[in-house]
Amino acid sequence: MKSPLKSILLRHETVLLLILTAEWWFFSAAGRNFGTLDNTFDIIRHSVEIGLLALAMTAVVLTGGIDLSVGSLLGLCAVLLGMFWRDAHLTMRVAAVLTLLAGALAGGFNAALITWLRLPPLIVTLGTFSLFRGLAEALTHGVDTFTGFPEAFLFLGQERWLGLPAQLPIFLLFAAGIWLLIHRTTFGRSFRALGFSAEGARYAGIPVERRLAMVYVLAGLTAALAAIVYTARLGQAKADAGTGYELLAITAVVLGGTSIFGGSGSVAGTLLGVAAIAVLNNGLVHTRQPREVAGMLTGLLLLAALSGSVLLKRLATVRQRWQSPPEATERTSS
Amino acid sequence: MMTPVFEFQTSRSKVQGSGAFHFLGWQFLAPNLNPAPNPNPNEPVTRRRLGAGLRLGLGEFSWLLSPLGPGRRRFGCLTLAGLTLLAGCNQNPDSTANNPSGKALRAGGAKKTTIALLPKSKGNAYFISCTKGAQRAARDLGIDLLFDGPTDPDPARQNEIVENWITLGVDAIAAACENKDGISSALRKARAKGIKVITYDADSLPSAREFFVNQATPQGIGYILMDEAARLCHTQGEFAVITGSLTAANQSEWRSYVLERRAALYPGMKMAALRPCDDLKDKAQSEATSLLAAYPNLKLFLSTTSLGVPGAAEAVKQAGKAGQVKVIGLGLPNENRRYVKEGVTDSVILWKTEDLGYLAVQAACALVQGTLKPGAKTFKAGALGEFQVQGDNIMLGKPFIFNKDNIDQFDF
Repeated sequence: MKSPLKSILLRHETVLLLILTAEWWFFSAAGRNFGTLDNTFDIIRHSVEIGLLALAMTAVVLTGGIDLSVGSLLGLCAVLLGMFWRDAHLTMRVAAVLTLLAGALAGGFNAALITWLRLPPLIVTLGTFSLFRGLAEALTHGVDTFTGFPEAFLFLGQERWLGLPAQLPIFLLFAAGIWLLIHRTTFGRSFRALGFSAEGARYAGIPVERRLAMVYVLAGLTAALAAIVYTARLGQAKADAGTGYELLAITAVVLGGTSIFGGSGSVAGTLLGVAAIAVLNNGLVHTRQPREVAGMLTGLLLLAALSGSVLLKRLATVRQRWQSPPEATERTSS
Repeated sequence: MMTPVFEFQTSRSKVQGSGAFHFLGWQFLAPNLNPAPNPNPNEPVTRRRLGAGLRLGLGEFSWLLSPLGPGRRRFGCLTLAGLTLLAGCNQNPDSTANNPSGKALRAGGAKKTTIALLPKSKGNAYFISCTKGAQRAARDLGIDLLFDGPTDPDPARQNEIVENWITLGVDAIAAACENKDGISSALRKARAKGIKVITYDADSLPSAREFFVNQATPQGIGYILMDEAARLCHTQGEFAVITGSLTAANQSEWRSYVLERRAALYPGMKMAALRPCDDLKDKAQSEATSLLAAYPNLKLFLSTTSLGVPGAAEAVKQAGKAGQVKVIGLGLPNENRRYVKEGVTDSVILWKTEDLGYLAVQAACALVQGTLKPGAKTFKAGALGEFQVQGDNIMLGKPFIFNKDNIDQFDF
């Protein structure tokens, strides 16, 4: 029998936590003003949008799908938010609600193509990846920028609330919600069942299409939420908002140990993945290394963390087999 | 063509501050691991010996890393030394040796002035050229220069970089703003933390910075364009103006100064036509071709937009009128080099980007040291001499004319 300690040590999340601690320790020793509270809050502030997208992406990847359109949708929603507010003269609240609706609608569009037409998610979202960005650019003619948002709205992205970055409570609430959904509800279990085998899930009585549609709508809604936070943080909305965020989110999800084929993964892993990448990016600046190194090291980190945990597991199985063949034969004979 | 961007830091052998090492052709600055010189001669001897021994030992193996020959062993050694430094071994004897003035870089303690320079985008040849000047200023002043920016012009990234610099605790930030409103809140935050902020090349909102290093006034641009046109035409003849669009505010302003200068000084010159080219080289070329046919007496094309210059030059060249019809305008040397060398384009007008970077860093440093204060009328910037200050704008002065004789000295 595996000891409980060993099973904890072998978990991918533990490996990630160790990596994160090592990063933190190294950058606080080597960097200037790295470990300060201000900087910690900066790291959080800069990673909330990616974090939101990564959380929704975890649900998508668990079902064995992928959503490449979230970054573009973030850009489109940022532009829409600006248009609702400035051009349609709506209040910020109404504009935000409408933006969320638009995000859900765009996610629904992805979902419709994936579930009704049975197109592969990779292809569908590759299409909407271009479509949404193109729409954002068309709406602004590529040059229009929305600025001058009200102070109360900018507070959400730039100020502190109860001493914490104002967007942190939103993120925590969202993370808690996704955690509950994935790990504590039958919905979450059905996502994983879908990821393992869609046909099997169908025979088990799970409404496959409805559940699939749900995760893509969730992803769209999250992209809209991220767009609102992004716009509040920068104080401007432009068609190029969130370029490349989809890949950063997917990287964080995979780094967090979620299988790209679906079926297994965890919210905690994703959060650790987001943190590991964000700390690395920020720490390199504070140790005054060129920013370009960050991309390289993120890649290495991803490969090292994934192969590391696979190797550890393999080592454990080899050792187990080596230690207990007689036991095993005993068991089978009895 | 594009060298790695951090090459700017310093040449390989001359490293400011503590040790540095190279990896994949990049130079890394070693983190400041409190390499304060220890005044106590007794205790550190063992450490120093240990350090030297370590270095010697690593030096022995440096050939492993440098298969290119003995000349490169030093770098291998530096690489290894840097790696050990990174690994947490905090006594690199080089780091103190390279720090001659005894100004120890102790984390958190008193240290060299650090100035951070933010371009609109890092790969842009224009800003690479600015940075060369900035580096020169940093060398002259003996300060630490940080250079970072988005790979593509991205206001979100600019904000993030500024916020990183705020927590890093730099003394001053010199920024070229991609988007006024986007970056102003971040810059204001920096000012609230006591960091001096200036802008160069492209301004932020005035409340977000103390000075703007202004590379050229509309008047300066308009006047020099007209003066150059009159010089080439011997103050007589017709010329045509190519503009980006008829509505662009900055171009209309420049054009109004061109015409003001003409009315005041060159009555023999006449603007025969004004055509928009939508900032497209092809459109500029076709407009110029039709203008050549419509106005046979045309002596010169004057473009107030950068792509109009090579466009008009191509038209003149294809019409076989090189030399008869002159071409001048605002633009970048690299876009026009070919036509200038062929003798089609006579003058390309812009400013010395290196001087812009130099002035920006000098001004930022002077702000930190308190020698430049709001309300100043002039500012003395090291080797470049004195500059006018108008309000909160530090003026770079007259634009610069690139022509056949000097264009090869510039690469942007």
